[in-house]
Amino acid sequence: MFRDNVKLAIKNLRNRLSRSLLTLLGISIGIMAIISLLALGEGMQQAITGELSSLSDVIIVSTGGNAFSAFGGGGSTGQYFTQRDIAVIQRLQGIKEISTQLSGSALAEYNGKKTIVSLTGMDIAVMRLQYSTTSLKAGGFLNEGDQNKIMIGYGIAHDTFDADISVGGRIKINGEKFFVTGIFGKQGMGGVSSDSIVLMSSRDFTKLTGQSNISLIYLRIENVKDAESIATTIQGAINENHGRKDFATATTMTSILETVQSITGILQVVLVGIASIALVVASIGIMNTMLTSVMERTREIGIMKAIGATNQDIMSIFIFEGMLLSSVGGIIGIILGVFGSQGLTLILNSFMQMGGSMNLTPVITITSVVLAVTVSLMVGVLSSLYPAYKAARMSPIEAVRYE
Amino acid sequence: MSKDVIVTQNISKTYGKPPLQVYALRETNLQIKQGDYIAIIGPSGSGKSTLMNLLGCLDKPTSGNIIIDGSDVSTLNENELARIRREKIGFIFQKYNLIPTLNALENVELSMGFAGVDSQTRTKKAKQLLEMVELTKRMTHKPSEMSGGEQQRVAIARALANNPSIILADEPTGNVDTKSGDNIMRILEEVNKKGETIIVVTHNMAIAQRAKRVLRIQDGEVKEEHV
Repeated sequence: MFRDNVKLAIKNLRNRLSRSLLTLLGISIGIMAIISLLALGEGMQQAITGELSSLSDVIIVSTGGNAFSAFGGGGSTGQYFTQRDIAVIQRLQGIKEISTQLSGSALAEYNGKKTIVSLTGMDIAVMRLQYSTTSLKAGGFLNEGDQNKIMIGYGIAHDTFDADISVGGRIKINGEKFFVTGIFGKQGMGGVSSDSIVLMSSRDFTKLTGQSNISLIYLRIENVKDAESIATTIQGAINENHGRKDFATATTMTSILETVQSITGILQVVLVGIASIALVVASIGIMNTMLTSVMERTREIGIMKAIGATNQDIMSIFIFEGMLLSSVGGIIGIILGVFGSQGLTLILNSFMQMGGSMNLTPVITITSVVLAVTVSLMVGVLSSLYPAYKAARMSPIEAVRYE
Repeated sequence: MSKDVIVTQNISKTYGKPPLQVYALRETNLQIKQGDYIAIIGPSGSGKSTLMNLLGCLDKPTSGNIIIDGSDVSTLNENELARIRREKIGFIFQKYNLIPTLNALENVELSMGFAGVDSQTRTKKAKQLLEMVELTKRMTHKPSEMSGGEQQRVAIARALANNPSIILADEPTGNVDTKSGDNIMRILEEVNKKGETIIVVTHNMAIAQRAKRVLRIQDGEVKEEHV
């Protein structure tokens, strides 16, 4: 009977080919949306967690109650760490490396125009680490030993002075000449902090400003397992130094990773939710097609009942039709989803300018394919259930008489 | 002595509730034996179709019992009635009522499919039946590609597919020309000669006179006419 039902379903769908194809298109688009958005969400998660998990031995201590932002940021709150804080950390066991980010402001001059800019000084290695996810528009990163060289944000290069600054350009900062070695790409939706940044080595910063305003402390620890306990100890010790409970926040990459994972998880749920709207519309389409089909085939249903079909036989004929529509639609949707996710990624990459190392790649997992197939079959069954029930409940006498 | 294939005991079918109750069929008692060839005649609205629907297990009587092949079908549920229709009864309709998307062979196979007959057996049987109704060359044709007479012969083949004990034909020649109508009746009579019970509803007296028994219905009451 299974083969007969499939054969009957194919014949009926072929008989109403254009309507069947349109319904099929609906379900394909729904599944395509789910596959594409899941692939995108998964790709996003893997890209971010991939970057972050390589930094699992890093602890970042920032001032203020807020946790450090992982995306090229590092908030300067106007409060700075002291050498005493650094000394506290240096005394701790299990610390491999300490590095600091210095923050301050200075007078910059280019092409005759002067303006106050925010300066950030940090060790080159830390700089490369922190800005690894930020794309470069031109030039390259500073190298160890570089002197009087800076990297600038897109906003400094193009929107701050009268003329655009390019790699190799010279900017006077507090009267000293600095060469631009690299310009960051426009951050847009990805974050805004690096757009107005002027980045230099710690040594240049101290030499230039005579200050050592430490806004961030970077630590590398020996054993990743100790990250949480070391972070808690450091936070407590620095807070004690400053006599405040919320002066410093020590953030481990693990906790950032967890936060990011939960955010991308929510994002994925939202994306699937949006895609589900398309699927709901598609399932209404199937139901509509099936209901029309039931009405058109009232007489046929009556005939089948008269020659011995049970209610279950009639129901299974219509449910098979719905399932056939949705499963073929689902398979087409998965194939379209593979291409759709590539297309969507291309568009997103160009919009968000997430080039460089943070290039988004769609990831289609077995889970999402299985989910798509299951969902499409379920949609087929559920949306044809009511039409099938309606067909099965028909009185054979009235159905046979139906014109 | 042939056995009874259908026995009706005081069956009535009413529509509506008193005092607006309408009798479509009044306390009818019938005894139909294996091999009978019965014509049911009567004017439009007399209750012919109601009787056919009741005998064909498409409907249930308001009161009374219908016994088919020894079992009372008046109390059966929908699926059990479907089984009786599948195993004991073959329908032939005035408008042929073939499934338009299926070809002749598939139409004949369909009821065997509902009966759970395996694919090979039913194809073989369907081919034999279509040969019997002289439609060997039309097996792969869809109803829309066949004449009225040919479609009705497919319907006869379909009605015979599950070896039913009763064939119910509702105006089988009503939509075909005289020659085709005669051909259809000839096939039904041949089937009857093989022992099948044939019940034909007709307006056509010439057709009715070919039957062994004639039942006339008037205002829901059935009377036997002697031919």
